[in-house]
Amino acid sequence: MPLSLSLSLSLIRASNEEEKDRRRSTNPEVSFFFVFHFWYFNLKLCMDSILGQDVISDLPQSIVETILTKIPIRDAVRTSILSSKWRYKWANLTHLVFDDRCSSLYNDKGLVEGNLVKFITRFLFLHDGPIHMFTLSSTYLQGSPYIDQWLLFLSRKDVKELVIELGDRGWFRAPTCLFSCRKLTRLELIHCELDPPPSFKGFLSLKCLVLQQVYIAPDKVENLLSSCPLLESLTLSYFDSFALSICAPNLKYLCLEGEFKDIRLENTPLLIFVSVSMYMTDDTAEHFEQSTSCNFDKFLGGVPCLQRLIGYIYFTKYLSVGNELGKLPITYSHLKIVQLYEVSFEDMKEILVVLRLILNSPILQELQISSSSNTSLATEATDLDFWENECPSDCTFRLLKSVKIADISGVPHEMEFIKFLLRNSPVLEVMSIIPSTCVTDGRINMLIELLRFRRASAEAEITFIQN
Amino acid sequence: MSEGTMAVVKPEMKSYIWVQTADGSIQQVEEEVAMFCPMICREVLQTAMGSSKNYAISLPQRVNPATLGLILDYCRFHQLQGRSNKERKIFDEKFVRLDTEKLCELASAADSLQLRPLVDLTSRALARMIEGRTPEEVREIFNIPDDLTEEEKLEPLRNITDDPHIRLLNRLYARKRKELKEREQLKSIENEEERVDKRSVDDLLSFINGGDGDSKGVRAIKNKKKNRKRKDQLPRNSSSNNGNGDHKKNDTVDNVASPNKSSKFQDSEPPNLEFVEDDMDDELDPAMREEIDREVEDFARRLNSVWPKRIQESVSLGNERLVPMSVYGSGSLKRFNGFGKQQ
Repeated sequence: MPLSLSLSLSLIRASNEEEKDRRRSTNPEVSFFFVFHFWYFNLKLCMDSILGQDVISDLPQSIVETILTKIPIRDAVRTSILSSKWRYKWANLTHLVFDDRCSSLYNDKGLVEGNLVKFITRFLFLHDGPIHMFTLSSTYLQGSPYIDQWLLFLSRKDVKELVIELGDRGWFRAPTCLFSCRKLTRLELIHCELDPPPSFKGFLSLKCLVLQQVYIAPDKVENLLSSCPLLESLTLSYFDSFALSICAPNLKYLCLEGEFKDIRLENTPLLIFVSVSMYMTDDTAEHFEQSTSCNFDKFLGGVPCLQRLIGYIYFTKYLSVGNELGKLPITYSHLKIVQLYEVSFEDMKEILVVLRLILNSPILQELQISSSSNTSLATEATDLDFWENECPSDCTFRLLKSVKIADISGVPHEMEFIKFLLRNSPVLEVMSIIPSTCVTDGRINMLIELLRFRRASAEAEITFIQN
Repeated sequence: MSEGTMAVVKPEMKSYIWVQTADGSIQQVEEEVAMFCPMICREVLQTAMGSSKNYAISLPQRVNPATLGLILDYCRFHQLQGRSNKERKIFDEKFVRLDTEKLCELASAADSLQLRPLVDLTSRALARMIEGRTPEEVREIFNIPDDLTEEEKLEPLRNITDDPHIRLLNRLYARKRKELKEREQLKSIENEEERVDKRSVDDLLSFINGGDGDSKGVRAIKNKKKNRKRKDQLPRNSSSNNGNGDHKKNDTVDNVASPNKSSKFQDSEPPNLEFVEDDMDDELDPAMREEIDREVEDFARRLNSVWPKRIQESVSLGNERLVPMSVYGSGSLKRFNGFGKQQ
């Protein structure tokens, strides 16, 4: 019986091949070619299998895992029918990445979702060994109850890195078993609802936390942050207007994006990288006007190790609230790169923020500013005498090498600022000026002014980039 | 430096590190190239080996001289700081244009030397060879023996890949398995059909009523034995002589009601009623035999009068129960009817 079985199997396979061949060509000569090729192929196969050695099956599991993680997980599972040695190599993978490629795409979303669920559930059921990393990134899975089960399974497997990115269709509410993943070192949640239970004591090993479009109560965020003592990298995206006080003694990298009413970096002495995108609504703008505290101090008052600062949209405006040009309690003695975008040069307070920052950064090397001036308002600048009278004249940017000023319209404050920089940067190498696309006529005037500015650095090149 | 001293001063010597591969051959490698490998670097720093031929660092077993040459080429290129990313990429792409065996050996050797970038590079090249290929193609590329047994292949390929190719194969395998099962079933049914009593009703009745010629008797005995064996499988209620008739009726009801007993054999299992001599034993003493004969007659009478009614009762009572019966073997129902009709 086995003989007949194998015969019939080979017949089945052959018929498959034939079908494939038939589909490929109706020309008899071509089909003969394929048949011959098939025969030759087989012959070569026999010879190769006698001469060639199967080295790949004996590679150590770590290399096999490296190989299998570089192909889609579906293909990785298909290796199970290669040979008896390969039958369960895929089942020992420790880094699992599931995405929409795990199911063939159909028009019917429900069908795709069903397939994905089946695939992942069966995979996890047949999996053997620890799971260190689990990534789920799918736009089809939404509020599926299976996700809760998978998370429960993972929490028992001591998962270390967890990334869950679900589509926009609904809100996935993270189950409480997520909070019992004790060994987590990295957690990324995108588009879900998070509600830590009262008994949650924190992720004691968590080093990297990314919450994007996560719905969570403000006080719970603070609790979460303060209960993760080893946290080094924090990213909060698309958070809605609340006041946040960050207390994370080991934090090194901070990325904030959203509408924040108030950010206070209370205990972040080791911070080296900060990137903030501050959106503003009318409410928050009002709130700012009424505020009396100095945001600059609250935010940048306790980050002596800062090496790079990036601010987008309304960040400078946020910092300008309550700001004075007075001496800061700390010097940013490690700050090398400052990038501030959408600085509004008609607002003296924002210019003060920029100045205060760069004047307290002795080793600043790279400066990038982009302007968002309302031309009509800015051209009527009345306080231009600031630059002559109040601006400190004995400041030198000893290490400033590269400056890029973008989107300028040639308004007085902008030009004064550039003049200020050129005058006080003895080692400047490149100053790139990019005019705003709205300005077409005033460019010649801008250039004429720029030519006249005194340059402290003999090496300074001013490049005027227009496209 | 003056010309004179130039002659005295030796030219700059490059420092070398001595390494020994598993096959015993020792060679020297430029220091900066060798230090690019974390494992060699650690050996040099921790154990201060490698400074001379006698104290050569012994490399892990997986590194043979040919592979070592390749690895050193890689290190030599990449340890130079001044190269641009593009240059490195171009070099890498050319570097992994090797046949699969060499690539695997290279990956293995790089792993043992803890040279992570090279492990990643070779793994990526190997992964590219696997991705998107059918299993047959992968086996051919890597000389993997196709040694899964037919049975293992018959197990439905875990169709978690939802590949149409695999779905088709699964269907074919499922069909194959079904055929196998059917063949087995047929075989067992063939066995069973031997036990099926093909005697006509008249024969049976005549036997009941006193027995006939030997042939029939012999046949009866043969069948009796077989029936007994089969009856043993069915639940035996405690039999009392008086309640034997009821007992038999119960058996019938049981039979009708529990088709699960031996589903495979349902086709061929005739109703118990045909084997009214089930409790007969050849070794019984004549007294018992007489009693049993009487009971049998009794039963036969009842059978003839009651059976058609009985059938109707069962049908109306346990319609649901009878339906599964028909699924397993409509033959049995037919036989019931036939029996009744012949009355």
